[in-house]
Amino acid sequence: MSRILVAEDDPHILRLISMWLTRHGHEVIEARNGLVARELISTQPVDVLVSDVNMPGMDGLNLVETVYGTGQVRHGVIVLTNRWDHGEIGERLADWGVQVIAKPFSPSRLSELIESMTAGTRRAGRPAHSAGTPDQQSTSQEAGAP
Amino acid sequence: MAEPQSNFAPIKPARPWRQHLWDGVLPEALGLCFVAIILAALAAGYLVADHFWQKQSQATTRTHAENLAQALATALGAREEPDEQTLAALAQGLSRCFQLRSVRWTAADGTLRLVWPPQLRAAATPPAEAQAGQRLVTLTVPVRSPTGQPMGDLLIVHEADDRHGYRTFLLLNWGGAAGLTLLAFAAFHQRLRRHLRPVAAIERSLHSYVAGVEKELLSLQLSDSLGSIARGWNTLIEQLAATQQQLRNAQQAQAGPYVAARLENTLFRRVVDRLPFGLICTGPDQRITYANPSAAALLARPVDGLVGRPAGEVIDNPAVSQAIAGAEAGCRAGLSVDHTTKDKDHESTLRFRIMPMPEPASGGIIITVEDISQLREGQRARDNFLYHVTHELRTPLTNIAAYAETLTQPGFDDEQTRKECYNVLISETRRLSRLVEDILSISQLEVGTARLDIGQVDLLRLVRQMVQDNLGAADEKGIDLTLSVPPKVPKINGDKQRLSVLLNNLIGNAVKYTPSGGKVQVSLEVDQRQVRIAVKDTGIGIAPEDAPHVFEKFYRAADQAVQAVPGTGLGLALAREVARLHGGDIFLESEKGKGSVFTLELPLSPTEAAEVTAR
Repeated sequence: MSRILVAEDDPHILRLISMWLTRHGHEVIEARNGLVARELISTQPVDVLVSDVNMPGMDGLNLVETVYGTGQVRHGVIVLTNRWDHGEIGERLADWGVQVIAKPFSPSRLSELIESMTAGTRRAGRPAHSAGTPDQQSTSQEAGAP
Repeated sequence: MAEPQSNFAPIKPARPWRQHLWDGVLPEALGLCFVAIILAALAAGYLVADHFWQKQSQATTRTHAENLAQALATALGAREEPDEQTLAALAQGLSRCFQLRSVRWTAADGTLRLVWPPQLRAAATPPAEAQAGQRLVTLTVPVRSPTGQPMGDLLIVHEADDRHGYRTFLLLNWGGAAGLTLLAFAAFHQRLRRHLRPVAAIERSLHSYVAGVEKELLSLQLSDSLGSIARGWNTLIEQLAATQQQLRNAQQAQAGPYVAARLENTLFRRVVDRLPFGLICTGPDQRITYANPSAAALLARPVDGLVGRPAGEVIDNPAVSQAIAGAEAGCRAGLSVDHTTKDKDHESTLRFRIMPMPEPASGGIIITVEDISQLREGQRARDNFLYHVTHELRTPLTNIAAYAETLTQPGFDDEQTRKECYNVLISETRRLSRLVEDILSISQLEVGTARLDIGQVDLLRLVRQMVQDNLGAADEKGIDLTLSVPPKVPKINGDKQRLSVLLNNLIGNAVKYTPSGGKVQVSLEVDQRQVRIAVKDTGIGIAPEDAPHVFEKFYRAADQAVQAVPGTGLGLALAREVARLHGGDIFLESEKGKGSVFTLELPLSPTEAAEVTAR
């Protein structure tokens, strides 16, 4: 079981992701905006961060930037966005090993990606890494990230 | 443009031989014939005169000779024994009066008795034969004694009269006449040539000019009595050259002051002056020759400040200068250059279209100036709209796709989850439908095809309904949404569906942009003229710079707090359009950070107003 924080301002998407990850046996922490998410992560590190980009208060990109290198996200970061420039966002975050998924997305694919992130890390027997480190990037690739 | 040659009546080209004859040959030939006839007449006259004179001279000479011979014969016959001395004495005496050359007296038996002059005795032939070529008269006269006895024959040779002198006289007179004739002809010929040759040259020049070979006419150089004609001709071609030069100048500066002057007070000029876009014309030297008031306004200069200045100097943009040079170089395609200027809070874009003058020979260019700032603004708003619409469309689509997929998964088949999924699918489908409806409505409003479905609308009920619909969202955010209404509100004529959209947009916006714990107050007031619905919130407010734009389609403030709230920028634009279609309007009062009041005013018809008064 992994601790996964989901930051999403749309209640339906937040509920859906939460539902899927709970069914897959993960502990899900919900946050309705970036500020809340940062607060929650700072108090208790998580294995995976799933974040929307456009959110009130603090957007997803600022959130990722804030937690990058702090070791508070152990296995990886996934960013969901419905922005038309998601390709540019992906390129911008590629160096940090962040996976960018454009909306509409498939919840089953998201679940698989999270499973591969956590399972791959366990298979490699490596200690947890913070989001965006070079090790994290290699981990994502090893885990067969899309 | 009329060809300068057309000022002349057509000239029939002369045939070469005729032209050649006119070039002096014919007059010369005629003159020569005339001279030849005169000379021939003189020569014939001379021959005839000489012939008759000779005949007369011979007759006279013969008469003289006969008289002389008779006198000599008588004188000799009267002497008994004439000797040579006697003969000599007689002959010498007679030769003083007559041109007696010789005398021979031959006896009857044929012997020569006396000869004069004596030195001819030895000569066997008469002097006339010996001196051939001289005009001599030879006569033989019988000599008789006083008794009548024949004494032989007397042969005398008499020189003709002074015919040499006569001939000299004749030659002098006739030759003089011929010489004078030749001189007269030569003088006439010279004079004719002097006059005809320039005239023939002028004729050739005219033909060349008409044919377009020569660009200028020859001047005429004549003197004497024809000098006035030459001066008239020369004045004419000088005036023609001056007129042609004026025409050329006018053509070269077709859009120049000349044409501009021609444009003055014409209908065309008045039309061009009132064009809603700028129009600038330049001459061949790229200096502005005409600018209409719109151009002056767009370039922020007076018209007088434009005319006469180089176009490249007035429009300080390298791309424009390059386009002007291209048009000058003959680039026929119109070039378009956008020039953007920015001051502290305003950006404006002018579009310059540069094209050459229609008549290439005249040079110069035409520049049109349009203010495309609004067009640019519209494009930006549309891009912004697309950005937001894409975002907004993806949100319900994401939910629909994700929940639909969830329904297909074996782990999510419990009743509660399925119900939850269906509810989300329905609500998100509605959301998507509303969004599409908004986009369609705004499209209809843009193209002016929006029509109202007019009916009786119970505004009180409608406002209550809209407040009710937004209570859920307000409660979720902890917002106090209240409604204040009078006891009775008249029904009005309107489009219920569109008015509900209007009210929902106003109340929904107030809830969306008001932070948790805030207040949204909806109030409805009626007076004798109108219904006033105010939606007051304690939300994020609208900055003064954004306030004039909030009702524009697709406009969303760049404020972070606004951007954080999903929206398309269509709601207020739609609301105001609907209000205006009902004859009313929406007004905004707002303070950044403190809240906003949107007031909808809908006019009442006289019947509706009467209902209010009757209460």
